[in-house]
Amino acid sequence: MKQSRKYLDPVLLSKLANMNLVAKCAVEGFFSGLHPSPFHGFSVEYSDHREYHPGDELKFLDWKVFGRSDKLYIKQFEQETNATVYILLDSSKSMSFAGDGSVSKIDYGSFLAAALSYLMLIQSDSVSLILFAERINRHIPPRSKRTHLNVILTTLQRNRPAGRTSLADVLHTVAETTKRRGLVILISDLLDDTGDIYQGLNHLKYLKHDVLIFHTMDHQELYLNYEGLIQFEDLESRAKIRTFPQSLRDAYRVSVSAFVDEVKKTTGAGGIDYCLLDTSEPLDRGLMAFLAKRKRMM
Amino acid sequence: MSFAEWIFLLGGFAVIGPLIAHLLAKPRYRRLPFTMLRFLRTGQVESQSRRKLRDVLILLLRCAIIVLIAMLFAQPMLHTRGEMEGVRSVYYLGLDNSMSMAYSDGSGSYFSELVDSAIDYIRSADDEGIFNICTLGSGDWASGLSKERALVQLKRLKVAPVSTNIDEFLSGLRTTRDGRHSRDITSVFVLSDFTPNTLKQFIDIEKPAIVDNINYKPIASRKPINNAAIVDARVNGLANGKLTINATVVNCGRIEQNRQLTAKIGANKSAPVDISVSANQRRTYQVQIDIDAAGQPPYLLAKTERGLPVQLSLSAGDGLKEDDTFYLGLSLPQRKNVNVLLSDNGTGEMFLLRTAMKTLSRMNSYETLNIKQVLIGDLTLSDLDWANIMVCSAITDRLGYIAVDLKNFVKGGGKIVFFMTDEPSSEAAKQLWEQEVLAALPQRCVRERTYIEPGPCDNRFSPFLLSPAPASPGARRGGGQESRGVEDKSGGRPLRILVGDKSGGIDSVAAKSLSNYRMDRIVLTGFLECEQHPDSSCLWRLQNGFGFVYFKRIGKGAAILVNTSVDDSLGSITKSNASIAFCRYLLGQNNQIGEYCFARDERVMLPAYDVEVPFAGRKQFWVETCNGRNRRAALVESFLSVPDSDGVGWVKTLTKPIRYAGVNLPKGETDMTKPIAAEVAKIMDRIFSPDERQNTAAAQVSGKKRYKPFWKVFAWIIILLLLVEPAVANRLKR
Repeated sequence: MKQSRKYLDPVLLSKLANMNLVAKCAVEGFFSGLHPSPFHGFSVEYSDHREYHPGDELKFLDWKVFGRSDKLYIKQFEQETNATVYILLDSSKSMSFAGDGSVSKIDYGSFLAAALSYLMLIQSDSVSLILFAERINRHIPPRSKRTHLNVILTTLQRNRPAGRTSLADVLHTVAETTKRRGLVILISDLLDDTGDIYQGLNHLKYLKHDVLIFHTMDHQELYLNYEGLIQFEDLESRAKIRTFPQSLRDAYRVSVSAFVDEVKKTTGAGGIDYCLLDTSEPLDRGLMAFLAKRKRMM
Repeated sequence: MSFAEWIFLLGGFAVIGPLIAHLLAKPRYRRLPFTMLRFLRTGQVESQSRRKLRDVLILLLRCAIIVLIAMLFAQPMLHTRGEMEGVRSVYYLGLDNSMSMAYSDGSGSYFSELVDSAIDYIRSADDEGIFNICTLGSGDWASGLSKERALVQLKRLKVAPVSTNIDEFLSGLRTTRDGRHSRDITSVFVLSDFTPNTLKQFIDIEKPAIVDNINYKPIASRKPINNAAIVDARVNGLANGKLTINATVVNCGRIEQNRQLTAKIGANKSAPVDISVSANQRRTYQVQIDIDAAGQPPYLLAKTERGLPVQLSLSAGDGLKEDDTFYLGLSLPQRKNVNVLLSDNGTGEMFLLRTAMKTLSRMNSYETLNIKQVLIGDLTLSDLDWANIMVCSAITDRLGYIAVDLKNFVKGGGKIVFFMTDEPSSEAAKQLWEQEVLAALPQRCVRERTYIEPGPCDNRFSPFLLSPAPASPGARRGGGQESRGVEDKSGGRPLRILVGDKSGGIDSVAAKSLSNYRMDRIVLTGFLECEQHPDSSCLWRLQNGFGFVYFKRIGKGAAILVNTSVDDSLGSITKSNASIAFCRYLLGQNNQIGEYCFARDERVMLPAYDVEVPFAGRKQFWVETCNGRNRRAALVESFLSVPDSDGVGWVKTLTKPIRYAGVNLPKGETDMTKPIAAEVAKIMDRIFSPDERQNTAAAQVSGKKRYKPFWKVFAWIIILLLLVEPAVANRLKR
């Protein structure tokens, strides 16, 4: 388990040369360590057969293979769902923040987007990638071909965060421009007016989209474990605050926790799935949330 | 608030250091790109304000420490109202009204200057103050006066014919201060001429008085002192109706005194005597006055004693006239014959003594010695009846046989003088001893050279009585001097009462004069070891400690034993030039001019041996004092004791015979030597110490305000701040 999880370590992934490798390692690392039981009926084709694990349904056993090799294998079924996934990756300047010893949010989000794209395209789902900041910077329309993965991964690799966050406008634009309903995966730090964000998300829900929010936050953003006198400079607004974070830590954490709770509560009330991702943690939580969502959609 | 050393306040500018450090201090910080600033701002406002507050507090703390240290060194004093509730200003004025303050140098007397200074002091004092005025001379207190009443009291003060008495002032000051309120401010102001007499009293004080403030002002003339005084007068002699008096004049100043000395008895004046006394010189002049004034019975015919008030005066010409007069009371005795019986063994040993007595008789103007010589073996009762005084050259058996007669002789008023030989009759001595006729019992003769003490024992109390009173309970017995007699109750100063001893005592005047004859050079070839009678006293000792002259009072008379011989067998006194004086010493002057002279601070004692006592047991008599008042005098052992003479002048008895006692200024009162300022300052600083409860080193008491040292409060605050500053700073930095 630990051996496979290492491929989900964002630090390790950040050392990989290209996104293709990142996506593959992340996904394979995820599934190799994943206990398949919770995902009965759900299949992902990456091989024709796979070994039998206790608990698998016996009806899927390939007896022919067993007769030939005396080994138990399960037949892998390829299931074509034809879902459209719109991956919205926040590429504002704030996503470039990286706490001490961790990867930046944009990298983390990119790894996650790459892994999800890989996962979707293998499953022949249509994947669209939208990079945005104040407005949509890059829109890759949804395709289901596997070759589409290279386009996505290349785009992710070349993506550089810039600009301020204007999430609400982007959500409205996405809602108005998408022709097919699908799963909208928002990877963002949500550092925008929450009211506007909710309106944008509600717009998507109104248009029957399924929405999954991956709220990426750096560990330091969550806990502010800084010491000493620090002048904090906002990445987007260039505002500055000089203070002793140790004196603000408690109040800050309370505020951040309240913010996160509010987002969770509001999105939950609106039927939107929410997953808080700490960029210092492996990607499995994100992938797990996606799989759970994907299962509910089926 | 004010500061004693304000210059240290400039050190407060050192706060600029922490201020500059605070302003220029740039905290080192790390720049960090961040995203969640909006969540920081909520706490940041509080944190920034708190941090600013912390920095300001630390800055204020450090500035406060610096400023307080500067103020501490500047010695702050808190202004408080002098008239706070419970705080009173109490003033003690010691004003010298002794006689020396009457001195005037032409521009006003010392006393008037004293009063003016006191008035100025009171006027400048606190209006609500309490004033206590004490006259240093008369010792009178006027306490608890308001300012107005104190000024009125000052104008009532007068000079008194007394010396300064500092004890009264200081004891009153201590007593009043002990009972005062703890918050009273005590101020003492002493005004005096600080004569040597006064300064000596201050010097003798051992325990200082605790006061808050002390001021003093020596009253002294800027001009040289111009003063002479008659300080003593003694009778030199009486002859042919003329009384010769020796008057001692002292020039206490710097100016030569050329004056005239006059004696006066009633309306009878003597011829003035020109005197000239240089500065700081003491001279004795003689003045003669005729005592047989008109209207008075001639002296030679007087049947009774006469009291004479002799007033000696200097002509005017100095700054203090009160000491230019001296009062001398005299008592002239009636003239009489004294029968002296000389008894010897017929060997001519009395020759020298008889010669001395004859000479003495010729010298005595008012007494004639009739001398009769009889062999001891031929003594009869008729001889004893004839004699007033009996002198025996030896103790022989015959005397033992008539011991009882001798006792009766002495008891009846006679005087017997025994001289010794080397072999007195022991049997006779025992019989005489048993009859208590001997003052001492001779025992063993010691043939050793010895010498006599220079003079009779120093006897403050002359061993004489005007009446044959029994020994008082307090009298010392045996071996010592005769201490009974007229007890001096006037503070220890000896009384000079030269009164004739009616019962045959020792002549004290002669005793004093014997010391001039160097009796200690007279060799005695031997002496007798004697046992002293318990009731006798040893008046004169040998240098080896044994007695030389023993005296015993017996009834109206007296017995004397002389531990030597009348010839050369044991000593050569009668051959010496002291023989006449020695005879006078032994015989006593039965009729002597009495001199009654007292100082103002002494108790006046007038002789009353022949005072008429109409009522048995009466003990009080009336006398007229110096100011004309009649006072009661108590009869004390043949003396009239007058407690207070009421000034300077005459105290006289109102019953016959009238006797006069002169009362003069105290000794040393007219010594007008100017004081040395440094010496007075030193004495005053020692006598009057500041109150240690209040640190008056930097405090002053003005008429309206009072300055209270405040530095201790600052010191404690600084210490406290220095202790808490590190903890506070660390706490705030968290």
